Amino acid sequence: MRSFKHSYLLFLSALSLLATSCSKDDDPIIDDNLGSGVFIVNQGAFSASNASLTFYNTTTKKVTLDVFSAVNGAGLGAVANDAAIYGSKMYITVNVSSTLEVINPLNGKLIKHIDMKNNGVARQPRYVAFYKNKAYITSYDNTVAVLDTASLNVEKFITVGRNPEQLAVANGKLYVANSGGLTFGNPDKSVSVIDLNTNTETKKITVPANPVSLAVDAGGDVYVISAGDYDKIPPALTIINSANDAIKSSETTDISYGNTVAIAGNKAYFISSSGNIVVYDTATDQVSNENFITGNFKIKTPYAIAVKESTGEVFVTDAKGYTADGKLYIFNRDGAVKDSAATGLIPGKIVFKNN
Amino acid sequence: MLNKNLFALNAIAFSILCVSPRVFGQSDSTRNLKEVNVQGITSDVFKTAAPVQSVTSSDFSRYSAFSVADAVRNFSGVAVRDYGGIGGLKTVSVRSMGAGYTSVLYDGILINDAQTGQVDLGRFNLLNLQQIILYTGQPLNLNLPARSYANSAVLSLITKQPQLSREKPNRFTAGIRAGSFGLINPYLQWQQRLSGNWSMVLNGSTLNANGNYRFKDSFGGKDTIGRRVNSDVSTQQIDGGVYYSRNDSTKFRLQFNYINSDRGLPGPVILNAVYDNQHLLNQDAFVQAAYDRIWQNSLHLLLTAKASHNYQHYTDASFLNNNGGANEHYTQREIYQSATLSYKPLQNWEIAYGTDASFVDMDVDVYKYVFPKRLSLYNILASNLKLGRFGIQTSLLSTYINDDNETNAAAKSKSAWSPTLVASYEAMKNGELLIRAFYKNVYRYPNLSEQYYYAVQPRDIKPEQSRQYNVGAVYTKNLDGFAEYVSAGVDGYYYNVTNKIFTFPGRSAEIISVRNIGKVDIRGLDVNIKTRFKPVADYTGLFNLSYTYQKAIDISNMGDSFYKEQIPYTPKHTLALNAGVKHQGIGLFYNHIFSSSRYYLSNNRPEYYLPAYHISDFSFTYDFRLFKKQFYSALEVNNAFNSDYVIVKGYPMPPRSIRLTLQLTI
Repeated sequence: MRSFKHSYLLFLSALSLLATSCSKDDDPIIDDNLGSGVFIVNQGAFSASNASLTFYNTTTKKVTLDVFSAVNGAGLGAVANDAAIYGSKMYITVNVSSTLEVINPLNGKLIKHIDMKNNGVARQPRYVAFYKNKAYITSYDNTVAVLDTASLNVEKFITVGRNPEQLAVANGKLYVANSGGLTFGNPDKSVSVIDLNTNTETKKITVPANPVSLAVDAGGDVYVISAGDYDKIPPALTIINSANDAIKSSETTDISYGNTVAIAGNKAYFISSSGNIVVYDTATDQVSNENFITGNFKIKTPYAIAVKESTGEVFVTDAKGYTADGKLYIFNRDGAVKDSAATGLIPGKIVFKNN
Repeated sequence: MLNKNLFALNAIAFSILCVSPRVFGQSDSTRNLKEVNVQGITSDVFKTAAPVQSVTSSDFSRYSAFSVADAVRNFSGVAVRDYGGIGGLKTVSVRSMGAGYTSVLYDGILINDAQTGQVDLGRFNLLNLQQIILYTGQPLNLNLPARSYANSAVLSLITKQPQLSREKPNRFTAGIRAGSFGLINPYLQWQQRLSGNWSMVLNGSTLNANGNYRFKDSFGGKDTIGRRVNSDVSTQQIDGGVYYSRNDSTKFRLQFNYINSDRGLPGPVILNAVYDNQHLLNQDAFVQAAYDRIWQNSLHLLLTAKASHNYQHYTDASFLNNNGGANEHYTQREIYQSATLSYKPLQNWEIAYGTDASFVDMDVDVYKYVFPKRLSLYNILASNLKLGRFGIQTSLLSTYINDDNETNAAAKSKSAWSPTLVASYEAMKNGELLIRAFYKNVYRYPNLSEQYYYAVQPRDIKPEQSRQYNVGAVYTKNLDGFAEYVSAGVDGYYYNVTNKIFTFPGRSAEIISVRNIGKVDIRGLDVNIKTRFKPVADYTGLFNLSYTYQKAIDISNMGDSFYKEQIPYTPKHTLALNAGVKHQGIGLFYNHIFSSSRYYLSNNRPEYYLPAYHISDFSFTYDFRLFKKQFYSALEVNNAFNSDYVIVKGYPMPPRSIRLTLQLTI
């Protein structure tokens, strides 16, 4: 628990950050624990290199708009895409800057800056997942990097399908959604299966075109959402049984492009193309609620979604049309809005910090 | 995910920014201003019923101007959006309205970019231009194509016309400009008298530069020194025309223009990464013709026609698709015709009717492109009435836009009526003070990018609408003392834009959404002061000052976090001053531009702050005779105090640079 005095100081430093972050010499140092709350990774604009890491302390209700630049004296770069905490480290993929920033989640301090370039050419890292002290990072250059989480050295690049996006571990195997989404009109349509003992691709499972989102439920089923080709092929949800890699079902779905599927217990939450939060029952494989949010509350541009396992609270960011600062909304398990906080530009990923 | 759109948007941005068709020229923008003697005193503030600003070729060096964009940055109300460097896109926004609200005329005929609605002014060099005029509101001459009335401001580029006689049947000008960024720019002009009524002009130039420069930028509060790379430019231009003139009452011209431009696109500066594989090739050609006839009974006919072909090839080898990178081709063609007839039923009353037709088609090889064809029809009815000291101009413009394409995604045809009322009053008997006001209604139609680029679903977009109100005064006084004259203009204005068209990236490039959602309120003040000092021992001093105040706020939605905040890239204060001394063949000039701070996003937050900047340029010109030939030389120092600044976030501007010009005229 935070003492009053500490949070007051934190508040002051957040204020001074707000007031001075446009001038170069003032870097308020947050060298203690940020407390309990959520990180929001803000993508920022492509041309402005203004990705940022917001921290919202859910106990004290204090927002630190950019922990990363406040602590490290430089910004994250251009288009931070994904982040996750594993052990005592937090890993942030910065797509256009083509870096992986490893920070201490307690205070945001940079531990290692890893340049994801191939002879100077940007690999463009996308998403990160973990298994037995290794971090696996997809990059648009058709690779999955294997990073040792102790030494923080990249040990291997596994070649997968085209423009791999989200990835997840099930049954000791890594599943990677190969989107091929950068080739408009001719996307990839496969999920790579990687043997985590040998770190080699063992097979490709064919799914509907342009698979982007991927998540695993408690029973080991892999949920893959394909975006389709925006023309003849509609978006689809495919469920793969990770025990035998067989496709259990594959049907068209109403989901907005590239959104994360957030799974907690036997509920999967995703954002529909019309902007509703849809609840899907992973036990019955049926939509159980077409619109999770109750009352007249409407989010302008729902963008990232995450569910807190312990409380069932659903966290959703609003990208506000991608042209202005975003917002984080917190809903209780019944869909009523209970809290909100300011974020940076295009809040694309929510990461829980529990200590 | 978003990255895709960002890339694609980037590509759009580049294509938007870089495709720029040319048009043809017709004649008579100069004559529009005859009453105020444009050619004579260029440093005057024009006593016109709506604001007019101008710069002539002899003054380009005063402003250390290299391109049209440089030459107009001292105009009040003008903001130049400059992506930096010789090859960087440069567009103008007048009174915070954005580039799409300024029509660019080349010898009286619109340079139409139906795809993007904006024209890259960095690509027009000044070598073949005689004059640049900015009309805020609309030109006041009635002998104009109807399309000239359709926008919020008109930037008129007027080429050098043959100035020949029986005694001097030809004239050759040859010159070279060279300087920083590896710039080498040789040029040639040939004017030839063909017969008593016919003459011709031919211009040719090439421009090469590596374009690279060092910059300082900051990321999250940390200064970074870097170097702009992939900024090389190679341009070849040839243009010319044949001109017929009889007694000034019958004129005809046929002109052509061709530009081949091959350049690297430096893109934004990215923290921790360099993307230096984007390339753009433009090949733009047009022919245009104008016939202008005035009969004894004041009947005045203007016929113009034009055909243009613009080709653009964009590549990005680092785009990680399955085809070895991005590789996009854009072709835009336009056929245009116009006829305007004016007549003076009374000595103090002139009426005009004009009709224009433009047909554009686009051929683009991006995913699911719909190959639109757009027909635009414009009809104008206008009247100019003088009643004693009052002047009243009224016009009513009708616009009709109809699209057709290969799928069922064509937008519904749209039409609108736009009235304009311009009034002026000579407040003093001696003519020293003119009070003026205008009301104008402008529709901006969605351009072809907004309507069709990656439009998998048909887009239902309404035209943007703006209502514009201007009240001002011009005061000119001849003086006997230290100054020969002082001339000042002040205009206050209120512009209201509704149904503003916004392009949203969405999660994917293929599903960009474009919607009418915005409302913007613009309040501003333009001030111009010009004076010339009495020559002392053959030294003549000149001084101009222009100031712009703009409060342009977003009033789209009360719930927005940026409600009532200043719109992006809009400084509250801009100041431009120019001072110089002329002595015989020598001129020494100082130009200063100040822009107050801006924000590059809708939220006026410190994170999105762009600091104020001051830019100072010096130029020194020297005319001399050598071997009985007339030479002109100039030395220009741009950004003399080496200020590190950006106009567009991520696109740092060049540091101090120099440029030398040597020109021979025979």
